[in-house]
Amino acid sequence: MINLQAVNANVSRVPFFRFLNFEVQSVDSCHAETEMTFVERHIGNPVMDYYHGGIIASFMEATAAIAVHPDFADVPAKPINLTVDYLRPGVKGSLYARANVTRKGKRMASVSVTTWQTDREKTVAEGLYHFLLV
Amino acid sequence: MSGIAQKKIEQIAQMWNERGNGLITHMALEIEEVSTQGVQVRMPFNPEFCVDREQTLLHGGILTALLDSVFGLANFVAIEGVSTMATLDLRVDYLRPARSRADVIVRAHCFRKTRHIAFDSGSIWFDGHENAEIARGVASFALTRGDSSLFDALEKGDPS
Repeated sequence: MINLQAVNANVSRVPFFRFLNFEVQSVDSCHAETEMTFVERHIGNPVMDYYHGGIIASFMEATAAIAVHPDFADVPAKPINLTVDYLRPGVKGSLYARANVTRKGKRMASVSVTTWQTDREKTVAEGLYHFLLV
Repeated sequence: MSGIAQKKIEQIAQMWNERGNGLITHMALEIEEVSTQGVQVRMPFNPEFCVDREQTLLHGGILTALLDSVFGLANFVAIEGVSTMATLDLRVDYLRPARSRADVIVRAHCFRKTRHIAFDSGSIWFDGHENAEIARGVASFALTRGDSSLFDALEKGDPS
């Protein structure tokens, strides 16, 4: 059993995670779910107030890293690469992410992440992230 | 510098540097070079973008955000008559740990443009270490054609 409070305490110690402004809502040995609260610095398109694509990708990376290493003591899991598919604009408001560790070996982990806003069926972006575990 | 008016470059650079809010302003990006061949942008070191307590290791996500932003700039410069664009997909390889307090330099260009789609690539290194790339990315963008660009809308303060 992973202690959610302890995970959020670790999250709050990472400067960039504080910048992203998110909280872990649930976590187990191969999943993590997070919620990011919209702030002005997330904006990519200042005319429409959409999330910046890079913020969405960063948030998914952070969620994926937590799913891989929920009990990280210092720095989060080491990312190797990522692919993101942007399906809808992220509008002003909370963004939710769910990361699913599809494979975790001795050296590598593969994690798929999906994000949505008010309707879980309406995916904002999905991504595939690889992490180095050694 | 061919096929692009100096005035347009200056307008883009000015608007880019003066965008009132949002991530690009927060990253404090400085345009160093702009041409249809590509763009080069500097991001000053910012401890908020780090993952470690010592604040010397940048999070990969900020490098991804940097690439996405600079691809957008490269598209506006390389393609005439783009009103808005949306990132379709993005792939980034993290080539080394991004451990430094040096400024980050990103170079990007649009290597293929069609009526509806643009394809971009770019790389990132720490200032003074061009031979030690820390990340490389490619992305594709869906373009919306029109006379009035995002920059024009910002200039007029009109969201239409």
